[in-house]
Amino acid sequence: MQSMSLYVEKDTFVHRIDPISKIFYIIASIAISFILQTFTITIICLVINLILLLTGRVFKNVLPLIGYSSLVLVTIVIIQGLFNPGNKTALFELGPLTFYTEGLKFAALICLRVINILCAFSVLILTTRPSNLIEELIRKGVSPKIGYVLSSVLQIIPQMVSTMGKITDAQRARGMETEGNLFKRIKAFIPLIGPVVMSSLIQTRERAMALEVRGFSSPSKRTFFNQRHTHRYGIYIQALLILVTIAAVVWRIIE
Amino acid sequence: MKKIVVENLKYRYPGTSELALDDISFEIEEGEFISIIGRNNAGKSTLCQALVGLVPHFFKGAYGGQVKIDGIEVGNSELHEIVAKVGYVFQDPYTQITGSKLSVEEEVAFGLENRGVPREEMIDRIYHTLKLLGIFEHKDKNPYELSGGQMQRLAIASIIALNPEVIVLDEPTSQLDPQGSEEVFQAIQNLSQQGMTVVLVEHKMEKIAQYSDRVLLIDKGKLIDFDTPAKIFSREDLLNYGVHPPVYTQICQQLGKHKDGVYPVTFDEAYELLVKSYV
Repeated sequence: MQSMSLYVEKDTFVHRIDPISKIFYIIASIAISFILQTFTITIICLVINLILLLTGRVFKNVLPLIGYSSLVLVTIVIIQGLFNPGNKTALFELGPLTFYTEGLKFAALICLRVINILCAFSVLILTTRPSNLIEELIRKGVSPKIGYVLSSVLQIIPQMVSTMGKITDAQRARGMETEGNLFKRIKAFIPLIGPVVMSSLIQTRERAMALEVRGFSSPSKRTFFNQRHTHRYGIYIQALLILVTIAAVVWRIIE
Repeated sequence: MKKIVVENLKYRYPGTSELALDDISFEIEEGEFISIIGRNNAGKSTLCQALVGLVPHFFKGAYGGQVKIDGIEVGNSELHEIVAKVGYVFQDPYTQITGSKLSVEEEVAFGLENRGVPREEMIDRIYHTLKLLGIFEHKDKNPYELSGGQMQRLAIASIIALNPEVIVLDEPTSQLDPQGSEEVFQAIQNLSQQGMTVVLVEHKMEKIAQYSDRVLLIDKGKLIDFDTPAKIFSREDLLNYGVHPPVYTQICQQLGKHKDGVYPVTFDEAYELLVKSYV
């Protein structure tokens, strides 16, 4: 069954940590790299992230994510290198363009931070089963309705894709050309939109009724079929992360 | 004890001019097994939706009369209060899957979680209903990986696990093979014998004749008759309402064999009568 998620099923130390501690970790890691604006701290945060990703054996799954963001990062480097208002010392020239040290330094810091944010989120997303994450969030007080939306999207979009496949097959069976050059494919795509959207809307209405019948809007306190996804040291991890973040704030103020 | 009381129920869908339900009144006793029959578009599904409160709470439109379940008036209550008493199984099993659960057992758990059933009791009820409907071995599969028939059983299991006092089923066996439908009918009959009130919409007349206590015949939104299967299927004008009696009844009608004007409706009854007359 195709489910839309980046989760990588493995049994490692990082996978076993509870989702809430990982959320604390994301906040701490990002906050610290922004509060203490030095290269050393940002690099330390990044290295910790990379160590976690390596121990979670999901490091190679992060690379495509960083790859996608590289376009934005390259743009930042070019623009800051050329036009940063603090630019004074020219570093090198590329034809008529001059790149400056100050701008490139600033751009490097931003790039490191962006990669740090990506990696921190990856620690959560790649090593946590989406349903566990959502269930823990509901336990912590997120509305079950929002939880339902989050978790159903992961399954219902692949379902819509398969509905689309069925409708394409039906149209092809009646002699419509769906293969060939790009123009033909675009022409074949347009008559698909109507039936796919309509059938999804009808299904959504029926599903809404089916949910109501199963007490979705019941005011009683919810219980859970799955047991809690807690970790023995979860509470200590969370406390430690809060302390480190506070320490970062204090350091920044003293400085 | 009267479980369901319907009085002068009238309903019109928004944007239409004809009544979908036209002045319907009947009463159902606790633990009865009732089937609703009639041609397509006769108002069977609308009537079922009125019993569980989707009409008028979900479908707006003109609503008149009363539906009372256990003395609670459906029109004036919140939907979640009604669905705590009445379970509803829809026609299409596919849209009844929540889409937020990754396994069959979690899918059945959905309704129980919403109701706040304690975890231990939840597990007991889930395993019990999955076994009752013969899909226990699929409990760890993703619901979308099931076949049409298995999905239909899952939809029924998800409702039965909620332990409703009344269960309304809208063509629950449309995707099942004969063997599968028989199993589902027997499971429903078991529940009915344990005191659950059953209201069923079906087109399989042989099954209706075999399992129902009474049959409700409707046409164009009007209640035509509400009586035992034998009386309903012996009506001479039945074909006018788009309903064919069970084949056993048709055979006896052709041969002119009846008992005090009532034709047999099940295999056993027909067999007994025909053996008596010919052997």
